[in-house]
Amino acid sequence: MKNMPSFSVPVVLILFLMLGLQSCYSVRIRGANGVPMPDPVGERTDYYRSMEVIEMDTTISIDLVTKDFTLLVRESEKCPTARIHTLEYRNTFGGLLLSGITFGRKRQVHIKYVCLKPEN
Amino acid sequence: MASTKTHPKTVWDTLHNNGPFPLKTLYVTELAGQGNIPSKIDRYNDAAVEIQRLIQETHQQNQGFRAFGSAWSMSNIAHHSDRMHYNGFMNISLALSDEPPHPNTSYNSSNLFFFQCGNVIKRISEVLAAHGKSLKTSGASNGQTIAGCISTGVHGSALDTGSVQDYIVGLNLITGPEPEDIYYLERHSSPAMSDQFASKLNAKVLRNDGLFNAALVGLGGFGFIHGVVLEAEDRFLLQRYVRKIDKSIALQLAASLDFANSDFVIPEETDSQGKGNRPYHYKIFINPYQQTQDYMVELIFKKPYTEPYADPLPLIRTSLYRDLIHLLIKISENFPKSIPWFIKRLEKAILPEVREHVKGTLSEIFWDAPYQGPAFACSFGVDHTDAPRALELLVKLTREEGPVPGIFAMRFVKKSEATLSFAKFPVTCMLEIDGVLWKKTNSIMSLTEYSRRMIEVLQANNIAFTLHWGKNADWEFPGLIEHMYGSAVPLWKNYRNSLLSKEMAVLFSNDFLQITGLSVPESIIPDNLIVSL
Repeated sequence: MKNMPSFSVPVVLILFLMLGLQSCYSVRIRGANGVPMPDPVGERTDYYRSMEVIEMDTTISIDLVTKDFTLLVRESEKCPTARIHTLEYRNTFGGLLLSGITFGRKRQVHIKYVCLKPEN
Repeated sequence: MASTKTHPKTVWDTLHNNGPFPLKTLYVTELAGQGNIPSKIDRYNDAAVEIQRLIQETHQQNQGFRAFGSAWSMSNIAHHSDRMHYNGFMNISLALSDEPPHPNTSYNSSNLFFFQCGNVIKRISEVLAAHGKSLKTSGASNGQTIAGCISTGVHGSALDTGSVQDYIVGLNLITGPEPEDIYYLERHSSPAMSDQFASKLNAKVLRNDGLFNAALVGLGGFGFIHGVVLEAEDRFLLQRYVRKIDKSIALQLAASLDFANSDFVIPEETDSQGKGNRPYHYKIFINPYQQTQDYMVELIFKKPYTEPYADPLPLIRTSLYRDLIHLLIKISENFPKSIPWFIKRLEKAILPEVREHVKGTLSEIFWDAPYQGPAFACSFGVDHTDAPRALELLVKLTREEGPVPGIFAMRFVKKSEATLSFAKFPVTCMLEIDGVLWKKTNSIMSLTEYSRRMIEVLQANNIAFTLHWGKNADWEFPGLIEHMYGSAVPLWKNYRNSLLSKEMAVLFSNDFLQITGLSVPESIIPDNLIVSL
C-alpha cells in the first residue's frame, strides 16, 4: 500500500462506485398459463424477442410514513388486457443507495412487463 | 370492424434470426372489439372482409402477399419481399359441439373445435383443456400458430399419431378479394361439418380428398388459411422417461420400433409378460463429436388422465447467458476444432436431465421454449428403417467436413395423408441437427454448403429422404423437390392452380415457392380436379 500512488485511492473509489452503481440483478416472474402479448414489429434480441414489452425506469417519491406503493397496470395499446404475463424487476446498487440515503423516500423502479395477449 | 395497421418495415426476420429478409410492407390486423361485434362468427367474418380488402390492395399494387404467425420457421417459407401479414391477433376459438355436423360424419362432435389462424398451440391447448380435451400431438414446444404448423408440417415424435396437420378435418381458405373466393374444404371420404356451418362462414364447400390433402401442407401457397376445424381427443397424461442406453440398442429400436422385443425395457412400462410397452413418443439425442457407448433417449407413454399428479413444470428455469454463446460461436467460426469441446461443456444445458416420474398433459410436457438466440436446424425425413445408416453418414460428414455447432436428434412420425408432407414414409424418422447459427469463414463452411453436402451424401448412398419445410436447407439444390416427392409435385401444383386464379397464384407465391419450382404451374391442368364429391 505504501508504494501506491496518491491518486490511486480516489481512482479505486470511483471505479468501485461505477461498478457498484452498475451492479444489478433481475428477478423475473412468469405465469405458467396464457400467451404473451406479441410484438410483430419490434426487433428485440433478448429474452423478450417477439413480445410487447413495457419498460419503466423511474424514481418514485413517497413520504416518510408511507410503507409501500402500488403501480396500476391499465389497458393500453401495448397492454389491451391489463393482465400480466411476465414481470421483471431489476435491483441496482445505486437504487439501494438512493433509498438508503433518503430513508426510503426516493425509490428507483426498474421494471419490464409483458401483458397477456387478448383472447377471443 | 377489424382494423389493420400498415408498417413500412424494410426488413423482416424469423424468430431465430435466420434473415434478415427484405420487405416493403407489414400488415398487422386486429379483430373488432367484442363489445362492438359480440358474435364470434360475425367477428370472424368481419375479419375475412378485412383480409380480402388487403389482398385487393396488394393486388392493385401488383405485389405479393404472405401471411405469417410466430415466425418460427427457419427457412424463408414464411417470407415475402412485398407484403407480409401478421396473423397472431386473429385468434377466435369455438367449440363445435352445438354446430350442425355433416349427416355422414364419423367424428364425435364434442371433439371438434374451430380455431382462427393466429391461435398458437399453447392457447389451443388451454381452450381444449377447458372442455376436458387435448390436442393429439404438437411440436416440441407450443408457440407456433395453427396455420403455421399445418402449412409447414410441424411434428413431434408421436410415432403412431402423426403431425399437427393430421388432425385437421376442415380448412377455411381465402383465395382472393371477391366474395366467392372463400372456401371451406374437407375430405369427401370423412366429412365433419354441415353445409350450414360453411354458409355461416360465407364459404363455398369443396369436399374432395385430393384437394384437401394438397392444401393441408400448403406451404402458404393455397391462399390465406383463415381457420381450421380440428379433431381433439379426451385429455390424457404423458409419462416421460429420459435414460442413457447402449447406442446399438437405441438405433435398433429406431430401425425396428419393436419395443416389445427389445433388450431395453423400462420396468414400469411393461405388459403382463414383461415385454416393453410401445411408447407414444421416442427420441434419441446424439452428440456427433463424442464416441461414447451410450445415447440419451426419451420415451413417453400415454396414460389416462387422472388427478392429482405432481406438477411437471420446474419452479425455476434458467437460460444460457446469450453473450457467452455469441462469444463461443465467434471463437468457433475461426477455430472450428473447438466446437466439440464447447458442445461437451454445454451438453448439460442442451440435453434433458435423466429424471424419472415426470408426468403431465401434452401441453405441460411440450411447454414454452424461451428464445435462446440465433439458431439453425436441418431436418431430414427418412424411412425409420434407414435411420441408423442415415445417421452414420451424416455424423461422418459432420465430423470430417465440419465440425458445426449442433447436435443430432431422431424423432419418429407416422405417415401423413398430406400430399407434400415430409412425413411420407410409413414411419418417418426426422433426423435433425439443431444448434447455434454461425457465419462462414475461411475455416468453416456455410450452413447452406453444409446442408448441400448432407443432401449429396444421402443421394450418393441411395437413401430416400425429405426435408422439413420450415428448417434450413439448400432449397435451391437442383431437382430437390422432384427427387423428394416425385409424382406428388405435379399433383400438388395442379390442385393449387385449380383452386387459385392465375393472378392469385402469383400473389400467393413467394421466393420459397419460386426457388423450389413449386410456383410454376404444370402445362396441362386436368379439368374438374376440385369438384366437390
